[in-house]
Order: sequence, then C-alpha cells, then structure tokens
Amino acid sequence: MSIDPAVILPAGLSYPPVAGNGDEVRDNEGHILPHWSYLLESIAELGPEAFSERQAKALRILRDDGATYNIYSDAKSPSRIWNLDLVPNIISSDEWGAVEAGLQERGELFNLLLRDIYGPGKLLRQGIIPAEALFSHRGFLRACHGITVPGEHELILHGVDLIRDDDGKMLVIGDRTQSPSGAGYALENRTVMSRVFPSLFRDSHVHRLAAFFQQLRNKLISLSPHSSRSRIAVLTPGPRNETYFEHAYLANYLGFYLVQSDDLVVRNGFLWMKSLDGLNRVDVLLRRVDDWYCDPVELRSDSRLGVAGLLEAVRAGNLIVANPLGSGVLENPVFLRYLPDISKALLGRELRLPSVQTHWCGEPEDLAYVLEHLPELVIKPIYRTSGISSSAGALLTQAELVELRLRILANPAQYVAQPVMAASYLPSFQDNQLLPRPAILRSFAVASNNSYSIMPGGLTRVGGTESEFIISSQSGANSKDTWVVASEPERLLESNSRGDDLQIREAENINLPSRVLENLYWMGRYAERAEASLRILRTTFMLLNGEEPLTPRLRQKFRAAVAKVTTTVLVGDLISDQDLVRQLQDGAVLSSIANNLNSMLFCADETKELLSSDTYRVINDIRDALADLNSTFTVARLSAPEEALDPLVTALMALSGLNHESMIRGFGWRFMELGRRLERATQSSALMNCLLSTVLPEPEQSRVNEALLLTLEGLISYRRRYGARTAIQTSLDLVLLDGDNPRSIIYQLTQMLAHVRKLPNSKGYLHELPPAERIMVEGSALVRLSSLNDMCADVDGTRLQLKNVLTELEALLLRASDMITDRYFDHREQSQQLVSSQWEGV
Amino acid sequence: MRYRIRHITEYRYANRVSHCYNLAHMIPRSTRRQTCINSRIDVSPTVAQGTRRTDYFGNSAYHFEIQKPHRELVITSSCEVETGSQIGDANLDIGRTCGEARKQMARARSEDVILAREYQLESSMIRADDQLRDFAKDLFSDERPLLTAVSDLTQRIFEEFSYSPAATTIATPIAEVMASRKGVCQDFAHLQIGCLRAMGFAAKYVSGYLETLPPPGQEKMVGADATHAWLSIYSPGEGWFEFDPTNNTMAGEQHIITAWGRDFYDVTPLRGVIFGGGSDPAMTVSVDVTRI
Repeated sequence: MSIDPAVILPAGLSYPPVAGNGDEVRDNEGHILPHWSYLLESIAELGPEAFSERQAKALRILRDDGATYNIYSDAKSPSRIWNLDLVPNIISSDEWGAVEAGLQERGELFNLLLRDIYGPGKLLRQGIIPAEALFSHRGFLRACHGITVPGEHELILHGVDLIRDDDGKMLVIGDRTQSPSGAGYALENRTVMSRVFPSLFRDSHVHRLAAFFQQLRNKLISLSPHSSRSRIAVLTPGPRNETYFEHAYLANYLGFYLVQSDDLVVRNGFLWMKSLDGLNRVDVLLRRVDDWYCDPVELRSDSRLGVAGLLEAVRAGNLIVANPLGSGVLENPVFLRYLPDISKALLGRELRLPSVQTHWCGEPEDLAYVLEHLPELVIKPIYRTSGISSSAGALLTQAELVELRLRILANPAQYVAQPVMAASYLPSFQDNQLLPRPAILRSFAVASNNSYSIMPGGLTRVGGTESEFIISSQSGANSKDTWVVASEPERLLESNSRGDDLQIREAENINLPSRVLENLYWMGRYAERAEASLRILRTTFMLLNGEEPLTPRLRQKFRAAVAKVTTTVLVGDLISDQDLVRQLQDGAVLSSIANNLNSMLFCADETKELLSSDTYRVINDIRDALADLNSTFTVARLSAPEEALDPLVTALMALSGLNHESMIRGFGWRFMELGRRLERATQSSALMNCLLSTVLPEPEQSRVNEALLLTLEGLISYRRRYGARTAIQTSLDLVLLDGDNPRSIIYQLTQMLAHVRKLPNSKGYLHELPPAERIMVEGSALVRLSSLNDMCADVDGTRLQLKNVLTELEALLLRASDMITDRYFDHREQSQQLVSSQWEGV
Repeated sequence: MRYRIRHITEYRYANRVSHCYNLAHMIPRSTRRQTCINSRIDVSPTVAQGTRRTDYFGNSAYHFEIQKPHRELVITSSCEVETGSQIGDANLDIGRTCGEARKQMARARSEDVILAREYQLESSMIRADDQLRDFAKDLFSDERPLLTAVSDLTQRIFEEFSYSPAATTIATPIAEVMASRKGVCQDFAHLQIGCLRAMGFAAKYVSGYLETLPPPGQEKMVGADATHAWLSIYSPGEGWFEFDPTNNTMAGEQHIITAWGRDFYDVTPLRGVIFGGGSDPAMTVSVDVTRI
C-alpha cells in the first residue's frame, strides 16, 4: 500500500519516501515509524520558513559558542562553523537498549585485546591475530609494552562508527580508540537543539547526555594515582587542530585544565604544568594528541606536540594518560577480519553487534579475492594517517585501478578491503525541504566501574548529497543531534557531585598555564594597539574632511602620527581624505591593523576556554569587521571614510567593556589589563610626543591639540571643563596627569602598579620593592613630578621637557614589558634530539 | 671468556643545556651464550631521576633525566660479562636448507616462528629493496643449506665492501652504501639484514663490543676498542645464529652483546632530547674491553 506523504504531513514540510531499502523513517510498507511521527508532524506544522529561521538561530548560537571545525585542506579560512542539521536522528529506546548492550560488549572485548597486545601477547602467540598484522602496524608502539592503567580497564574511551545494513540492523564499520573525537560536538549539538526547539525537545523524552560526561569525569578522577587534590588536564595540539573547539569545550565542561605541549614539563619522573606560581603536578591527562606524538624521547622524535619524558612518568605510575599510549593499535581494521576468533578467545563467545566484512590482503586467499573484486570494494590502509585515505574501487578509472592494484601488491599486509556499504537515509533539511541523506553514527563509550557507559545516541553525521560516498567531518559532512527517545519521560539524573577530591580552582586562577596568561596579556596589547591605530586614522580623516583645509605643516604632522602609531611608512602628501584612502588601499596601514587584530584573534583562540559566549560574539564581530575592512576601502567613493572604521572601534570597545564587566578578577584578567594599560600608555605617549613636542603657531596649535584630545577621547570632558578654546597646558593636565581620566597616562600607570602588586613575587622582598613594582612606581613618579609649566616651555621651538619626559616614559614602559615577559612567562628553550637522524622507529 | 668493559661517552655542547631526557642501551643483556655478571652506569652531572628497565626486546634500558644546567655530559657504563661461543657453529653445511626454512617462515604456526616474524618485516632503517634481493639471490637457492648461504653472503659483503669510517654516518641509507660499496659495521649489518629479509628470513641487528688484540709484542692501548655491530639470523626450529660481515666470521666469544632489535634505531646506545645546547655537540666515545 502506498501512502501519499501529504496525507500524513499536511503542512508545507513533508519528507518523501526513499526509494529502495534504507529509509530510517518508514517501515517496509511505507508507514512512518512511531518514534518518528511526533517529530515529523511538528516539523511539518512548523513549515519551511519557520524551520529556516530556527536553522539560522542555531547557526548564530554555534557561532557565538565558537563552535568550529577546522578543515585542513582549506588554507584560506580553515576555521568553519560547525555544521548542525536541525532534524535529529531518532532512535527508539527499545532498539537502543540492544545497541547499547552490544557496544558495552565490544568495549569489553577491545579492552581485553589492548591488554593482551601490550601484555602477555596470547593472541599473537596462538596465531589468532597474524604476526604481520600486529608487527607491521604503526600504531603498535613497542615502547608502551608492559604499561598498564590501574583499575579494570585499559581502554577508557571507545568510539564506534555504526551504520544500518540492508535489514536496518546496526553494523560496526570502525573503531576509534586513539582519542575518539565527537563527544563534545554531540554535547554542543544537544545544547543548541534544546535551545532552538525547547518544547519539541522537552516533549520528545530524549535521553540526556549529562550522565555520560559525569561518568567520564568520575572515571578520570578515579584514575589519579594520588588520592587527594588531583589535577586533570586535557592535552590539545592547539588551536590549529581540527577539533580544537571540542578540546576547549570539554575541558570547560568537565572542569579540567586545557594544556598544550609547552605548558608541560617532566621533572623527577612527574608531569608538571607551568603556571604563575611555579610547577603544579598533573595526575591525569586526557589526551587529544595521537600517542605517537606524545613523547619525543621514545616516540616520534620530531614531535612538538608532546612532552619529553612523558612515557617514563607513565611507566613510573606517576601519571595516567587516557586513552593509554599505544591504544591507537586497536584501530587496525585487520582485527575486524579476525574478530569472531578474537572474541571467542577472550570473551568465550562472538559479539552480538556485527562488524563490516573485512578482507586483509596479507592473507593470500583474501588478497586473491580483493584483486578480483576491486571495483566492488573499498580499500583502506591499515594505519590511518592524514594524507592517506580509503579508495573506493567503484569510483576509480581503469588506470587508477591498475595503480591501486600495484600499490596493494607492493605491500599487501598494509591494506584491508571492505564491501561498499549502502548507508541508510535520514531526513535532512536542505534547500527548504526535507531530503534523504546517508547517515553514519559515532557512538561513545567510557569505562565505568565494571563495564562501559554508553552515551545515549552519539554524533550522527550525514553526507552533503544523496549519493555521498564517504561521510567524514573533514570532507564537509553535516552533523545531527541523536535522540534516543523513551516512551516514558526519563527520571532526572541525581546530581552526583559528592564533593569529589578534584582541586577547586582558586578565584585567582593561580594555576592557569603561563601560556594562557601570556596570551591574555598579548590579547590586551594587540586590542589596544589596533584601537590606537583606528583612532588616529579616524581623527586624520575627520581633519582632512573638515571645513578648514590643513596647512602643509599639519598634513605632514598627521601623516607622521599615523605612521608612528601604525608603525608603517606613508609616502606623499595627504591633501585630501582620498590620499589617505589611497594610502590605506596600498595596504601597509590596513595590513598593520589587520595584523594586530589577527594576532589578537589568535590569542583569543589560545585562551578559548576562558572566553564567554558574549565575548565570543564580540570576537566574531571583530572577525567580520576585519574581513570587511579591505573591501570597505576599495570603494573609492566613500563619503566619510572615518565611518567605515567605526564598527571596529565599537567592537573593540565592547570587548574591553565585556572583559571589564564579566571576567573574574583573577590573574587572567590582570594580565589582560596589564597588556591593555601598558599598550595604551605607550601609544598615548607616542602620540603626544609626535603631536605636541614641536611648538606651533596658532591656530595650528589648537587644531593639533584638539585632534589629540579627540583621539584620546578627551575632547568632550575638556570642553566641559575648560570651554571651547584649548591650550596645551590644560590638555596635558587631562591626558597626562588626571587620575580620574581612564585614558590618561597616570591612570594607566596607577592601574598597572595595582595589578603587579597582586602578582606573586619571588621571595626575598620584605620591604624592598620587587622589580616590576619598582618600575611602575618610577613611571608614576616621573609623570607626577613633572611640572606642566616646564613641560610646556618653548626651547627653540621645542617643548624640550615634555619631549624628554615622554621619551623616558616610553623607554620605561618598554623595560616594564620585558620585565613582565621575563618574570612571568615561560621561555622554553628550543629542544633538540641528542642524535639527529631522519629515521623514525615504530 | 670473561671481560671487564668500560664504555665512556662524552658530549660537549656549544651552549648550556638546561635539562635533558635520555635513553641509553649500554648495559649488556644476558643471552644464551652470555651472562652479564655486574654492571653500573654513572652519569655526570648527577641525574634527577634514573630508571633501569627491560625493554620490549629484552634489552637493558636505562632512562635518565638531568635537571641541572650543564655543558658536558659524561656517561660511563662499566660491566663484567662472561661470554661463550655459539652453540652448533661447528658445521654449517648440516641443517635446514633455504627452501625448507623459507617454507617454515611463511607457514609454521609455532610460537618461535611467529615471534621471529617481527624481524622479517621492514623496519625504520631497513626497507625492502630489489637491489638487496638481487645482491643475495644466487646464494639462497632452495637446496642450499641456509647457514652456508648466510656464511657465503657474509663473505661476499666482506669482500665487495670496504671498511671506511669516513664514508657514512648513522643516517646513511642502505641504498647509498650499496652504491658506494663503503661503510662501517653498522652499515654492513643493516645491509646483510636487508638481504636476508628480502630472501624471506628473519634477522636482527645486534649491537655490542668486539675485543681487539694488539699487534704481537705491543701493549694494548687504552680506549682502543670500539662499539661493534653484527646480526643474527633465525633458522626455523634451530634458533638464532650470529654473523659478523665486517670481519667475515660468525660471532664468537670475543663478540660481547649489548642489545638487539630490528635495526640500529631500536638499540641506539644513547638517544634523547636536550633543551638548549646549541648546534653540533661534540661527541667522543672510548671503549675498553679487558680480559679478566
């Protein structure tokens, strides 16, 4: 019986039946399955337009959360907003129960397999796994032999990729045991879905994800070799990694530190995190760096992502790494070929959840079969690295097939082949309609007391087209939230926060890695530096557009000021605003601003885990304005070019305001403030020096003076205080000496002094001022003790005293910056191999 | 034979090294024909952490960490070792033929053969290469006794290659050695292992020392001995046999084993990561092997 879909879905958004097998939404007779009907009805009711709006809202939330996925092949804009398709994948609770049991069983098996491979090697010795399959797999790390993890499980996290076979049954197509990614994205998807469809989500009785993450957190805490005050960190390769968002997101969600290679050091057989108050021991590392890269002493020697001596710390039992180093060996697809025997040997039975049929070319019969059936198979290398991918025989030309055959024959043991799997289809919202898209599900298991806890659902990914062949996030697939729906509402999870021993982070954040503090410091500096450039440009545009034309001398003066603040060279006279626009188009000035902003954005990425959604929104505004900056100035017919700069100035001000209003007054905030204040003092001083150190006749002097006040945001206050006519002496009073003016130099110095007083100091200073304080006091004194009269005195056309004070101040600020850098930031020496060679042991 | 061995390695750095992490394979392991009676390793400056363990291949590995700034690193390994000659090296013409051995290597399910297969596969410094196969092929026909063929190959390498310490570094690939026909013990061992693997056999790299005797009537010079390298081949069902292509001989009592692995990379005497140090550290090695 065929059913007209319009009968079931009366409104605009219907989902047509999929031809052939593999429709996840309908049964064989074309009836919509019960667990899908509520969702599809709700979507239909909503209609395409409203659905589009929700999709846009989701995109906004993802963007504000900084949810990105970096595409390596796209060098120009590698950072993409995470793709979320708002139609969830729905799995009934009944079906999920069986899948869950299957995944637990598989987790147990892979755990035992891992233990055997790096322990007694029973399976190898008995010939159950072929010697070549293990010995020639690059994931088999001999250096990790004999290392064990305390507790029942070696394998802490296990990711499994599932599809539905022709009968609609779940089938495993691969395992992720290295450092399975995607759990954090699944959580983000869930968060967004529940915000975009609050009532639909609530009424659907979806199984929650929180318990899984709580289990992960508990498991990691329980692994710590030290019973109290454990410190747990997430090791990330850094912001350029494809899933960096997830690393930061998980670290935050779980309450762990996010660390990179340079934050860590091994000393006396323990792992330590470098922070402001010295070294803090790390007990457990949740690694998102592939094991092979984790220790340049014993593993990959040219790795910059690991820590020298890490493996020895693990061997000594002083550090637990999850997943354990060497666990990547389980991703070897050859094991799938022998899984029934492995399972019988280790569990005494075959697995309930079947795996995709796998042929290993290292086995002569398999090789013969594979070579004969190449066009029907997918050929995969047994070791997964970037740059080497699977080849689908069906998609290859005759010449490519020949080439593939030769490649296999040259090294048969390095390849497996699997049949092409026809994925099942899920509805996906594209082009304002629901279209069938092939789907794959990654499930996640975490070791719990005596079994594995499975995340209800997981991360569903769908192909971008109906015939998408290989679905992977790297090739731009879409993702979906996965709903395991119960017929009954789920009882709420009891909060399990039984005062665990995890060290509470002090309000002062004393334990932040030094790298994070350094990045916050530079984020403050770059933001302020960019702002100073924008401000002087804006002032110059306004003057050029003003009623009175600028005299040649003033034009020269402002050209010099722009050049000084933006540290660029400007050639030619600035007669009109168009000259400046042309100068901007030539690129040096704009790229100087862009460089500062890009550097600031880089620092923001490095400290991603500390930034709130609100902050991220502003950061995105800056990113947008920055992207528009060049195109803005290619339009020569700008009526008021200075206005084009306004959005950026506003965004930067918003950022500064947000930081001021919402950041905890910890060391992170202090360092960002220090950077900001130091840069502002430096820039203001440079500008004053440039504009005021030469005595000019009136009315030029007044115009320069006004321009300075305008740039330093002081013109309005000045006028209120002193009336319309400006004089140098009173201006200096406002921008140099007025402690109530947040843009005056003395204000910056006072704030900096207050900040450095709060920083930890080396011991041995009882009453003597520590160096950083001393330098700030020196700066304040220099400014405070200057007399306005002396500074304004005309010595052969120069305000000599002013010039001297500002020059000295600039030198002092430079020293202050060096001192902060030397004292508080880590200066990692370049490491090198004692014996250098190009060889890499496996 | 009983020996006392002292092996001193010194590094001098252009710049200060603030801290370092090292892994040494300098303590002789005990084997079927050798017992390490006692051993010690001294490191200057003092180590912050030093651990001895048995590595994957059964070798003694010594890990150490130095946290003191230094410009000079000295590692002194001292030991006493009792060595014997190889069992069954009397007549190479009896025993498995190449054909039988090859068949066993490919098919046998015994644990020994399974574990030996690890040494038949490519390793980081020894890749499969047609040149190697061609160089050895005529010696390994099915009917020839395996050990005779290996012995002939050892002789061929000894005769066709000249010993030249200046010609190669630890990073010289086998293909270059093949082309220049020059090298040192490490190169010849790698070369012969490559040939044997290409012929379908398992062979491992053995690092150690060789006692050298002074010319008649002269005193032996201190530090005149050197680290040495040779190889060991597996004959299914018969065990492992050591050959030394640098000296065209089977390894004997004067061959003292430190460690073995798939190639030099697995048993590098000293490797590690240093922080600082500048470029081109100067290294000197001196070895004394004394009969006691």
